[in-house]
Amino acid sequence: MPGFLGAHGYEPGPTQRPLLAGAISGLLATLPAIAILYAFQALRAEAAILGISQILTIAVGWPVMAVAGALYARLFGRAANEPRGGWLFGMAYGFALWAAGAVLLLPLASGGKTPAGEPAIGVFLSLVAWGAALGFIHPFVHPPLHERLEGAAQRVGPNAGTLRAPR
Amino acid sequence: MLRVVAFRKAILAGAAGALVWEAAVRLLALGGFHGFDIVHELGTLAFPNGGAGQWWPAGLTAHALVGAAWALFYAYFFWARLDWPPPLQGLVFAAIPALLAIFVMVPQLRLMHLPMAIAQLDVRSFLVALQPGVLGTLLLGHALFGLTVGAIYTRPVGYPSDSPPDLRCSPRRRGTEGKRPPSGSAFMFATGIECSYPTIDQGQWRRDEMQTMRHYELWERDFELARELGTTHLRYGPPLHLIYTAPGQYRWDLIDEAMADLEEHGPEPIVDLCHFGVPHWLGNFQNPDVGPALAEYAGAFARRYPWVRFYTPVNEMYVCARMSALDGVWNEQMRDEGAFVTAAFNLAAASVAMTDAILAGRADAVFVNSESSEFYQPCCPDPPIQERAAIENERRFLPLDLVYAHEVSERMLACLKQHGREEEYRRFLQRKVPRRTILGVDYYEWNEKLIDQDGHRRSLGELFGWYVIATHYWERYRRTMMHTETNRIDASDAPRWLWRQWHNVQLLRHAGVPLVGFTWYSLTDQIDWGIALGRANGIIDPVGLFDLNRDPRPVGLAYMHLIKMHRDEPEYRECPALKELLD
Repeated sequence: MPGFLGAHGYEPGPTQRPLLAGAISGLLATLPAIAILYAFQALRAEAAILGISQILTIAVGWPVMAVAGALYARLFGRAANEPRGGWLFGMAYGFALWAAGAVLLLPLASGGKTPAGEPAIGVFLSLVAWGAALGFIHPFVHPPLHERLEGAAQRVGPNAGTLRAPR
Repeated sequence: MLRVVAFRKAILAGAAGALVWEAAVRLLALGGFHGFDIVHELGTLAFPNGGAGQWWPAGLTAHALVGAAWALFYAYFFWARLDWPPPLQGLVFAAIPALLAIFVMVPQLRLMHLPMAIAQLDVRSFLVALQPGVLGTLLLGHALFGLTVGAIYTRPVGYPSDSPPDLRCSPRRRGTEGKRPPSGSAFMFATGIECSYPTIDQGQWRRDEMQTMRHYELWERDFELARELGTTHLRYGPPLHLIYTAPGQYRWDLIDEAMADLEEHGPEPIVDLCHFGVPHWLGNFQNPDVGPALAEYAGAFARRYPWVRFYTPVNEMYVCARMSALDGVWNEQMRDEGAFVTAAFNLAAASVAMTDAILAGRADAVFVNSESSEFYQPCCPDPPIQERAAIENERRFLPLDLVYAHEVSERMLACLKQHGREEEYRRFLQRKVPRRTILGVDYYEWNEKLIDQDGHRRSLGELFGWYVIATHYWERYRRTMMHTETNRIDASDAPRWLWRQWHNVQLLRHAGVPLVGFTWYSLTDQIDWGIALGRANGIIDPVGLFDLNRDPRPVGLAYMHLIKMHRDEPEYRECPALKELLD
């Protein structure tokens, strides 16, 4: 996978900090997601299924979404920096998280319990919105975090032209 | 970035796919078949108790939006992966949303319609879409959706050659600090903005790399990046096909601001006047009027921008003639030896006439005649294979032989006689080649080719290397030289390639060849370069110093390092061969 990404130019560049940018974007993107969860009473349903309070559900959710954001940025590499299509990649990622997490893992972890009715709509919309927001803001969050060209250039010297000799 | 996507076209395709699906469902309903009604399912989520006047538009809008999102996904990740007719590509792609619909979305939609907040699931909950009526409608709907998207979403890049969009370099957004440093006679560390504009599809469709790379919008950023890296020269090809609208008519306003920026701040441009295409009204390279018309353009260009000193009148004449008239890929799309000779002569005549026209306006102009360096190795001692390789090795020189007034081989002369070109060839031999001429030698990993047992050309990779191949050109023409293009399509290997090319340059200089510059081509990634622009696929080839978001690639940083390491060394700070040429 890393070889494929590198050859096809998707590897994050040497000046980029995808994990940090992805984590920050993931955190910021939770704001609209929480609003949707709240509006559809999905937060209450999720908390009830997990057997914890709504505040604790949010508290647990935030770091999880930060990690998910970092994973998104690393996985999509340079594609995540694309201002035009970022929202779409993020939305697809949010959809995948919903399918894996809310549709599959949550019922498995809770003995078959799952949100239904309006809360089910809310969970779906919140994760798709989280993904779209993540993908949309990441190209704007990332550039200020880039390392300067001058500093990074020192790491790509003439040794890059050599092959690793067998010992 | 993964692909260059035509957003409007993809959204239209997705929405149209959803409409076709809906039409089929309604027709089936009229025929008495009631399967799975996706529009009803979506619409009644918003209006659970509403009438058709409420749920139908809401559901249809929601489905069209979902369709548009899927079509965009298709455009980014799936389009042109299969070399199949577009509708079939769409049909195959539709299997992905179909599977997700069957096993995820339909069961979840059923859950969303339940009048409760928490439900208890079992395995059967995930299989509700497997009922024959539901399954049949879903498969039919997705098939129609895929076929529609595939049929509509084609040629995401380029435009009809007879009606180009209103493209122009956008107005300057910010003031740039600094003045263009005099390039003097220092070694030329160059890059370039890829600017190919051939036509495909029998001249109907224009490829325009500057448009697809968004250079017309981001030209200020592009120039800034070239300066930031430390490059001294920029190979820059204003869009001939957009500027030269008719005999004597030019749209200089398209590039005035960009040219002014280069004049003020640099890098020093090497202006590339004809790059693989001609304006629609000129047709193609079989047209004998191409030479005089391009000479008129070159003269007008030199008068409009008198400060420009470096020119490439026609880029890679051999490649252009070959791809247009022998390999059938661009422009006239012919596959004929005679057509190749015609294109080569017209291109060479254009180059010569353009050179003269520029010299009439600027007598000290410098001409960088970039050409693709090629070499053909026969695979075996079979006479036909040896013969084929020999022909190819002579044909590669034809356009440069004409421009540099160099005699062709006996075999090539016979070929020219056969096509009635001997007299014209003799006229080329009379030409006095301008003193300020640089032979640009481009090199990529597939420039060295094997003629296999079937007589087909196959890439050998870097067999002998640029040093050896460039030496063929040096020994033939004895002109001041420059490495005018290289890159590597495998982005992870590009820094290694850069340094190896550079070592080739150093070795050739130390061997006494007057070599005055080096170029990584291009500044940004290119589009469909891996398929020689032969189809309008929009696939991004990561060959640039920067990607299309203008984020640096490792090779960009390596080139910056290389320039910084060498530019102040005495042998590069003052390049005697260039000094002699410029004086």
